[in-house]
Amino acid sequence: MRSRDGNSNLLRRLCAVALCSSLPLSASEYLISYKYIVENITLYNETLFISEAMKKCNGKPQKEFVLYSNESRDLREVISQNSEEFIEYIHRLGLHVEHREITTNLQNRSTTTLILKTTCFKVDFNDNFVKIAPLK
Amino acid sequence: MRYSVLLSLLLSVSSLFANGQNSSNSVEDLHRAKAESALIKDELDNARAQTILIKDEIAQARAENQEKLASIKAEEVLQKNKSTHISAIGQGVSPLNTSSPAQAYALAKRAAIADAYRSIAEKVKGVRIEGQDTIKNMMVQKSTIRTHVQAMIKNADIVETTFKDGLCEVEMEIVISYADFAQ
Repeated sequence: MRSRDGNSNLLRRLCAVALCSSLPLSASEYLISYKYIVENITLYNETLFISEAMKKCNGKPQKEFVLYSNESRDLREVISQNSEEFIEYIHRLGLHVEHREITTNLQNRSTTTLILKTTCFKVDFNDNFVKIAPLK
Repeated sequence: MRYSVLLSLLLSVSSLFANGQNSSNSVEDLHRAKAESALIKDELDNARAQTILIKDEIAQARAENQEKLASIKAEEVLQKNKSTHISAIGQGVSPLNTSSPAQAYALAKRAAIADAYRSIAEKVKGVRIEGQDTIKNMMVQKSTIRTHVQAMIKNADIVETTFKDGLCEVEMEIVISYADFAQ
């Protein structure tokens, strides 16, 4: 028989579902890759790809980094606001270096490529800052 | 009688002359001996000086060898609880079509960092080099040198950055320790 106070069990379930669904919104996983090419000691191309992970990543968070977000929930926006700091952080994480140089009849051409291979990052959005850490 | 006296006189005079000659010969011999002894002394001094020089050279060679051995030991083996610093300078140039000096600086710095990374990778991991020369009729037609570096670099720190006349120089440093390689 239905009580006058309403269905308390249903209300509890609804609250639990709402709470569980809100948790992954604050802590989510992103795939980030970074690459830049230097040709003849001049920067030629730089790319930073950011994408929300569609599958859950494995691993534990490693070196954590804090970005100031101004209540933004968009990681691309947050990174573009703190691009220099974030790129320095990526450098500290480690980059693959590939350098090719060809000297033909004493004329030299060189290409250096620095790559951060696609890495899964755990991102925690908070009020004024975002915590980001690679999963390994 | 007279003849005998004369003969004796002659003999005595001749003996005197003979004595004089002998004495003059002995003086010359003395002089010669002195000169020879002086020469021998000089030679001895020279030999002593040479031995001292040779000793110094041997000591120098030993010290150099010890230094070399120590440096080889230090280079070859990464010891526990000891870290090695490797630093490199990278150079980068800003592109021609930049919108502001700040952008030029940022782009040149990025290029310089890549160059410093390359330099560190060369030092730590080495360079693969291929060379090819084409010679026709005893003349070089084409000379090609290809180099290739591939590495993974972590925790490189920027020590110093300078930017002058569009050229950016970045000094970078990494610290390698035994723990980085021990598994």
